[in-house]
Amino acid sequence: MNPDLVPGKQLTDVELPDHDGHLRRLSDLSAGDPLIVNFYRGWWCPKEQAFFRRLVALQDEAEVAYTRFVSVSIDPPEVAAAFRAGLDARWIFLSDPDRRYQTPLGLLETTDTVHRPYVPAAFTLYPDLRIHAVYNGYWFWGRPTNEQLRTDLREITRAIRPDWEVPA
Amino acid sequence: MTGWCWFALVEGAFDDRLASTAVASAPATGADDARVGTFAAWPAGRKPVESALRMDERLVDPDGRAAWVSLVVVPRRIAPLFDDVAVSQALRQVLRGGQRVAVSTLVRDATTFAGSVTVGHTDDPRWQCDDPFARLHPARILRAGPGMFAARPAPAGPAIQRYTGKPWPAAGFLP
Repeated sequence: MNPDLVPGKQLTDVELPDHDGHLRRLSDLSAGDPLIVNFYRGWWCPKEQAFFRRLVALQDEAEVAYTRFVSVSIDPPEVAAAFRAGLDARWIFLSDPDRRYQTPLGLLETTDTVHRPYVPAAFTLYPDLRIHAVYNGYWFWGRPTNEQLRTDLREITRAIRPDWEVPA
Repeated sequence: MTGWCWFALVEGAFDDRLASTAVASAPATGADDARVGTFAAWPAGRKPVESALRMDERLVDPDGRAAWVSLVVVPRRIAPLFDDVAVSQALRQVLRGGQRVAVSTLVRDATTFAGSVTVGHTDDPRWQCDDPFARLHPARILRAGPGMFAARPAPAGPAIQRYTGKPWPAAGFLP
């Protein structure tokens, strides 16, 4: 992983087609809200399927908490769209079949020479894409639990919402 | 930038005052090509016509192509709360995806769901029949001439809450 991908630094403002094929920029997708971004191997990986089931469970809370999710893989848009629909995910999936950002981010999984996927990684971000926390998901237990994600999102929200303490 | 604009289907005369203050307008016709009125949008500020409602300003494009539109306008006396689970379910259905190029809910006040505008992706009005908001109140399927509606990518989910009463999916708490 690129050594600059640490808390306090900015995640690259990637611009990629979404699951519908429309070009989207990460900073637009954050829309002023906290953001979870996960890079994943592909639809075929059982670890990803298990992790996405976790995120899908969390989206029912995130939908009322002014929070965004974005998922990125090398799968082309139509594959990402099918995977997303099967998961019942209601957030944006970005497609990088040309692997534009894999090398700059240092997220090429070198041990899989067949798929050459993104190495799994998850980030919790401030709205300006500043990194709050990084999770290396190469081994499944390196991935964040929903409790860890909730804690991160609480800390980010507390930092960015001036009315976190209820106005008098 | 407020994130919203005034929007109306003006079914009476679209006079010079309305036309000169609009940021975009286009004729609205039914499936039988009969003229039913004028779609128009105005900047945030003074309400231009009694029937105007707030809409996500990103749906407006003076250079937009003609499009089929599913328009839901719920009368005030039967408007559900925006937080009604039926409204939430329609918003989730929009986020799941579908054959639409732009969506905005319509806002009349701080608490209720006033309706929606859903812009279709093809020249076939039958695609508009899958408008999730039409399950809340009957939709009118109308043809908008060019110069009114934008094509927008899907809203960024999973957020379905409004921001200080703005029409969904307009984001940001700043007024």
